[in-house]
Amino acid sequence: MKMEEMSLSGLDNSKLEAIAQEIYADLVEDSCLGFCFEVHRAVKCGYFFLDDTDPDSMKDFEIVDQPGLDIFGQVFNQWKSKECVCPNCSRSIAASRFAPHLEKCLGMGRNSSRIANRRIANSNNMNKSESDQEDNDDINDNDWSYGSEKKGLWYLPFQNPNSPRRSKSLKHKNGKWGWSNGNYNNSTGISYETLGPEELRSLLTTQCGVISEHTKKMCTRSLRCPQHTDEQRRTVRIYFLGPSAVLPEVESSLDNDSFDMTDSQALISRLQWDGSSDLSPSDSGSSKTSENQGWGLGTNSSESRKTKKKKSHLSLVGTASSLGSNKKKKPKPPAPPTPSIYDDIN
Amino acid sequence: MCKDYVYDKDIEQIAKEEQGEALKLQASTSKEVSHQQCSVPGLGEKFPTWETTKPELELLGHNPRRRRITSSFTIGLRGLINLGNTCFMNCIVQALTHTPILRDFFLSDRHRCEMPSPELCLVCEMSSLFRELYSGNPSPHVPYKLLHLVWIHARHLAGYRQQDAHEFLIAALDVLHRHCKGDDVGKAANNPNHCNCIIDQIFTGGLQSDVTCQACHGVSTTIDPCWDISLDLPGSCTSFWPMSPGRESSVNGESHIPGITTLTDCLRRFTRPEHLGSSAKIKCGSCQSYQESTKQLTMNKLPVVACFHFKRFEHSAKQRRKITTYISFPLELDMTPFMASSKESRMNGQLQLPTNSGNNENKYSLFAVVNHQGTLESGHYTSFIRHHKDQWFKCDDAVITKASIKDVLDSEGYLLFYHKQVLEHESEKVKEMNTQAY
Repeated sequence: MKMEEMSLSGLDNSKLEAIAQEIYADLVEDSCLGFCFEVHRAVKCGYFFLDDTDPDSMKDFEIVDQPGLDIFGQVFNQWKSKECVCPNCSRSIAASRFAPHLEKCLGMGRNSSRIANRRIANSNNMNKSESDQEDNDDINDNDWSYGSEKKGLWYLPFQNPNSPRRSKSLKHKNGKWGWSNGNYNNSTGISYETLGPEELRSLLTTQCGVISEHTKKMCTRSLRCPQHTDEQRRTVRIYFLGPSAVLPEVESSLDNDSFDMTDSQALISRLQWDGSSDLSPSDSGSSKTSENQGWGLGTNSSESRKTKKKKSHLSLVGTASSLGSNKKKKPKPPAPPTPSIYDDIN
Repeated sequence: MCKDYVYDKDIEQIAKEEQGEALKLQASTSKEVSHQQCSVPGLGEKFPTWETTKPELELLGHNPRRRRITSSFTIGLRGLINLGNTCFMNCIVQALTHTPILRDFFLSDRHRCEMPSPELCLVCEMSSLFRELYSGNPSPHVPYKLLHLVWIHARHLAGYRQQDAHEFLIAALDVLHRHCKGDDVGKAANNPNHCNCIIDQIFTGGLQSDVTCQACHGVSTTIDPCWDISLDLPGSCTSFWPMSPGRESSVNGESHIPGITTLTDCLRRFTRPEHLGSSAKIKCGSCQSYQESTKQLTMNKLPVVACFHFKRFEHSAKQRRKITTYISFPLELDMTPFMASSKESRMNGQLQLPTNSGNNENKYSLFAVVNHQGTLESGHYTSFIRHHKDQWFKCDDAVITKASIKDVLDSEGYLLFYHKQVLEHESEKVKEMNTQAY
């Protein structure tokens, strides 16, 4: 129809109606034809069946609308065990505690600057001993409360997170917890928390294993790695594997309580810390008994020694200060399995 | 000879190549390639629909389990684990991931990373978030990477404490906007008026401020970019009612009960001419003297997504409290009366109703509501989001449940997200009406 030669105003209603109908019909026909072509092509090329769905698959994603359940049909509040990996320290953290962890990990929290300052101060005063005790006590308290909040960091199955357990003199010599020598070795390390006891055992026969205070990971260098001392390696092994643990090539049954102790003092300290005591040579010495009494509940009589085993663990704080150490140490006698002390308590 | 239509592979291949060439030519000549076109900005290539090959067809034939997304599907909904007082972040993430135009952008993989390292790019993380939330996985997602990135790039938000959802929204939009341009330290003086990153295309509106000199009636106009509109509430220490409530019949279909404030009331107040007192005289540019003046705010350019923020948290000299007054807000909102172009009709105190409701340019639909329960010191955020046009869902961290429209409209409301109903394609020549958002 040649529209350009007519003006619309000149036409009467019926003609206008006819034109409108024709335009309408064209539009409908075009869209129908377009659709027909689509279907025809789909059939011809063989993909027409793809539009079909099967009822089972469709049910998988149906929205659920029932009280007590979310839209996936799941019960509320079952997500406590979700975990994630911290992008900063690469440790596995419970998801609901990620924000407070990240705050401390990035050094942004209220306590973080205090802790960091103390750490710096401590590493600067590495070689002083008694004068640092008060500071270290404070740091202990700080970080133990820190640790108990976080729970993921210092919590190990056979450790009581609320008791300071590391040797202070170790700390003096090597920085904060005795694990680190101040060189932060971020790249090579193993996260020990995820390892089982057997894995740890085998690992510790071949690798240095000293835990870096900064990254909380075990050193993967050789047993003779120059960055850590034998004492540190011994301590790690005792920490993880009990007092019977020894360094693979070194035969040692010495208590590594303090580097400054003489041999006789070492003997005494070993006797003192020995809660179970049947095996310790302390039976023979009256002088030992008097020392042991300083222990509080610990070992007043030989009969009651075993039963007092558990209490002694908790009452060790503040005793035996003459030895320059007030930390709980695992007793050294080879036979009784002393990790059991910790197991029982926990 | 059978007179049927045939489809020849080789001819189709040739046709495809020629079409591609033609599009490339077209893309290089047009200046601003909008996100609504089929071609990817910068690549000049058409995104083809999937055409199956013979081996694919065989494989599909052997595997008959198939599903198509319907409106009763959970795909597109997923809970978010609370990482420790991060409910404010979860609500904003739910609102953003259910913004239709943003969803379309990210799910069609439109983001090209400009940052020096993609692990630090918040836009890449958003893209990943969309993939996670639309995966159909029923177990809640743990947005720990997002938290980490936000803390790194928006230092003022870093820290384990309860925070404001609105503040988080603005900070997140800011970081996203910077990262779209590869600016990770915020050095470049980005002028949002000339930026065409996806954030600015969607969220940036233009707020016009007109200051009228009382003496010579000269008007000084400035237009500032804005990402949201913060509205004062009745009961705050700023005086609210210059006009009597209930005078206007419901402009936007809000249930207008006398005594209940509506969103429209708040907007009217926001855009009313305000007489600046004698203590705030401004030097007039035209008559060169200090005069009293009136100031009026209106919308010059409407964003695709409009976010309204009720100022419920009052930090005044006298008190710090939360204003819990219920504000009624509509499902559909017409912003025409609040535009700069409608100012004339408002000068004489009348609020002009849009006579031709066929004009859909300024009509918006509600798609997300963020609510706060509790006090100023301690509370919890939840959100309602719209899914598949007419279904609403309540998102309470890891738990998503179905909600009714009534639940949504009866809620207190803290942040409201509205989406333009009809999107416009801006070209130099003509404005065409393009896609329907819903």
